[in-house]
Amino acid sequence: MHPPSLQIMDISMPSDGPAAASLDASDTTLTPSPRVRRVRFYLTNEFGLVLLIIIFGAAFTFAVPRFLSHFNLFILGRTAAENIVIGFAMMVVVVTGGLDLSVGAIGVCAAMGGGWLMQVAGLPWPLAVIGGLLLGAALGFVNGWAVVRSGLHSFIITLASMSIFFGVMIFITRAQAFRSIPLSFASFAHIRYFGFISPLLLLAVVIMLALVYLYRLTALGREMLAAGARASAAELSGVRVKRVIILCHMLAGLLAGVAGLMLVARNDAAIPSMAGQLGQDWLLPAFLGPVLGGTLLSGGFVSPLGTLLGSFLLTLLTNGLLLLQIGQFWVEAVLGLLLLVAVLLDQARRSFIARRRMI
Amino acid sequence: MQFLSRYGRTDWFGPLLVTILAAIIVGSLSPSFLSAFNIQVLLLAVAINALVAYSQMIIIAIGEMNLSVGAIGGLAAISFAGMMQVWHMPILPAALLGILIGLLGGIINGVIISLTGISAFVITLASLSIYKGINLGITEAQPFYGIPNLVKHLGNAPFLGPLPWLIIPTAIVGFGLWLMLTRLPIGRCILAVGGNRHAAELSGISIRLTVIVAHALSGAIAALAGILLCARLQIGQPTIGDDWLILSFAAPVIGGAVLTGGHVSVGATTLGVVIVAIITEALVLFNIDPFLVQVVLGVLILWAVGINRLREFRLKPLRRA
Amino acid sequence: MSRLTKLLGCVGALLFSGLAVAYADPSTKIALVPGGPHPYFASWAQAGADAKKDFNLGAADYKVPEQWQLADQNNLLESLVTQGYNGFLLFPGDPVGSVSTVQELTDSGAPVIALAGCLKDPSTASFCFGTDVYRSAYLGTQHLIAGMAGTKKRILHVTGFLVDPNTQLRINAVNQAAKEGGATVAETIADIDAPGPAEEKINAYLAAHANDIDGIISTAWVPSVVSANALRRIGTKRIKMVAIDHDKAVLQGVKDGYLLGTMLQNPYGQGYIGSYAIDKLRNGCKVNASAPWTKNALTARFIDSGTVFAGPEQVDNYLQSMQAITKTIFASFAKTYLICSK
Repeated sequence: MHPPSLQIMDISMPSDGPAAASLDASDTTLTPSPRVRRVRFYLTNEFGLVLLIIIFGAAFTFAVPRFLSHFNLFILGRTAAENIVIGFAMMVVVVTGGLDLSVGAIGVCAAMGGGWLMQVAGLPWPLAVIGGLLLGAALGFVNGWAVVRSGLHSFIITLASMSIFFGVMIFITRAQAFRSIPLSFASFAHIRYFGFISPLLLLAVVIMLALVYLYRLTALGREMLAAGARASAAELSGVRVKRVIILCHMLAGLLAGVAGLMLVARNDAAIPSMAGQLGQDWLLPAFLGPVLGGTLLSGGFVSPLGTLLGSFLLTLLTNGLLLLQIGQFWVEAVLGLLLLVAVLLDQARRSFIARRRMI
Repeated sequence: MQFLSRYGRTDWFGPLLVTILAAIIVGSLSPSFLSAFNIQVLLLAVAINALVAYSQMIIIAIGEMNLSVGAIGGLAAISFAGMMQVWHMPILPAALLGILIGLLGGIINGVIISLTGISAFVITLASLSIYKGINLGITEAQPFYGIPNLVKHLGNAPFLGPLPWLIIPTAIVGFGLWLMLTRLPIGRCILAVGGNRHAAELSGISIRLTVIVAHALSGAIAALAGILLCARLQIGQPTIGDDWLILSFAAPVIGGAVLTGGHVSVGATTLGVVIVAIITEALVLFNIDPFLVQVVLGVLILWAVGINRLREFRLKPLRRA
Repeated sequence: MSRLTKLLGCVGALLFSGLAVAYADPSTKIALVPGGPHPYFASWAQAGADAKKDFNLGAADYKVPEQWQLADQNNLLESLVTQGYNGFLLFPGDPVGSVSTVQELTDSGAPVIALAGCLKDPSTASFCFGTDVYRSAYLGTQHLIAGMAGTKKRILHVTGFLVDPNTQLRINAVNQAAKEGGATVAETIADIDAPGPAEEKINAYLAAHANDIDGIISTAWVPSVVSANALRRIGTKRIKMVAIDHDKAVLQGVKDGYLLGTMLQNPYGQGYIGSYAIDKLRNGCKVNASAPWTKNALTARFIDSGTVFAGPEQVDNYLQSMQAITKTIFASFAKTYLICSK
């Protein structure tokens, strides 16, 4: 008895599912020759992203020397940190072949919950942060539970829950902000290590390492990947797919909460409008990071490092384009074009690898 | 009994029942709901939203999704308004060029998707940014005001009783889509590709061409929706289309569309639009706390898909038999 | 709109070119940053250009965030600091959320004035210079109530996004004015800053309840336009309406008698005087703590940039009345609100 949702899993998704599975299984295949291994390294998505980051970084430095000023680097790192964690929140659901349109709504709910605990309930901030994160995870649980119980695709469930979470939050808070945020908490977003490194960026890196650990070294992580790659097969081999899907959504809610609380620190306040109407402003960074990073929308393959680099590249481009003064209004068009080019290049790389059978 | 079970199985029966019930309930609680003017207002909303829903429906039919529906609609709307204001172009050519732009946008989506095999979700996410970005780049986010009076008139006035002019293009498109999906070969190709891509390919259908045609249609219909909305609002707003995404999925899904493709219904989708319009209106009529409106809409979507789900379970044994 | 702006600009330039003074500082680079694209702010561009010329500034550029999003505005502001702008006239994307960004701007040495909308105290902005949202809504409602004499005085209030805290201020103001004037607020329709939803909700309400209300007060741009068009379409002059701002459709509605009038604001004056003040603040002037500041719901340091009710007689020459206010504020501005060592 498979959950009906699994039939809808690969809605709109490309045909590279099998390739993904083989990518994932690369460590079990025969050891390739050193030369092939070297070429394969140059062909990885992550290497391509690093290359792009270096190229664009150099170009922006050349065009706008202030690009490398301490202030700009600090700003860049801090904004990137937020986008990276938002990207992670989406990535952990995409692993299962689903998606979570409500990341923004959950993030704002968690932030408002944390803000309430700090200001109204008067809890010390570490407890309030834990409370906010738990709220995020709880809302993620609601999503996951609804997905497995109804058997509907997470797209529809989270489309609805986005409205519901955000609406209830606005109803309860009457759109009022919480601004009595302890300085010791808010300072996380304002401290600069060595003049230009934001603690938030370090936090994003730590989260990435934790996710790498989860997917590479724990049974749960492998189950998540298996459930995404081929749910029915995973089910047969003893993975409790429903439970795993719920856990993925909870993790997404938790990470969305982290991103929301980062924004609270950055704004010194928990404000309902910080992710836009219904939290929709987060959707673009949420998808761009993982997609640029090579995470498959059909599920089963994940690259936390790729997501980190992808989100960073996105932030770098936005920042650089603004500095170049090409006209604020064309930034979005250029970003879209770059995303398209990046996706096409990635596709070319994949088919090149597949042709050469380098995996 | 046999009659009931026969119609119970069709897509449009459930939504129709809900529509009638909702109309009766709202109408009895607030008699002005059934006034001619109110029906006209309702039809205006339905005319545009139905096109938005059709535009997504045709992509759902091939088992993909199109996130750029709103961006295409917005781009076509501001092109339409801009060509009339800046180039003083007559209405008809401006409208046709607007639709052409939408058609082109759809074709670009379709060609890239079918040539690369990358998921439509990713490609239309990228093209959403591009089309919206071009829109913002052209308008610098300022609306075009130079809409000719004739367009303003057509966008708001009725031609017969409470029937607004805007309902005519929508009716034509709706009928055309119904005809195409049920009677024409291309419609069958679309449904076949959505139903089972592999089988469709084996039976000699060109997947590529079908995907491109579906996206082209989607783009053209979205453009038409944008142009009609522009006429209705009486300004070429750059924000047109920004809020279409939720509705574009909600209406087909309420109308029983299966997101994996292969199964959509024009009539039921239209009824889905009508239901959303009635509920939106009821929330205003009954003075529901504005802070709660979002919640009600979210619950509505869940409730509708829940009903669909039940119906599917009930129908499955029937179909197999 | 653009014609209006130009006219406004010309009149402004003529008026003030005589007032320009010699201590100007070409190193002053000012950015005028609205919360997002909105027709209301369009005259800031002209105001900045005029101020640059009149006060010999290095720059006074109008920079618009791509979309009405706090994060977009923050990114833009940060990049403007990197580009070397050293003075900011800012419509806060959020009265609370923008406080920390403003802190970072002032930390970089750039004076900041909250323009058109205020920051919530405490903040490091020098002061807030803009329309008193509460007062504007309150006065508008009073005008509406006066115009509804002899009816049952039932009011429909249409307004903007609920996530904008100013919306709550407007709702409070309208309710307060209604209570004092013996009127009732039949319904408040909010969250309609986008044309599509505004069109749907307002028309739906009018379709059902047109007979249950006697007046409409609008406290946001888009609902004003949509309601004005709706009244014209229905063709009724029984329902009285007071709108806000100077959209063409609204002004025409006032002229044709569908609207009692509209509450005008003074964006040009905000941009012009604001640029002047930033330059002064960068050159040895300090904010006068004991100036006659107005207090509003957000801040204790508020300067009203002027709100004018324009009825059918005033819409054609409302520019003059706004110019008069701008001139009055400007004449005594430095003396009243600044303490200058030079």
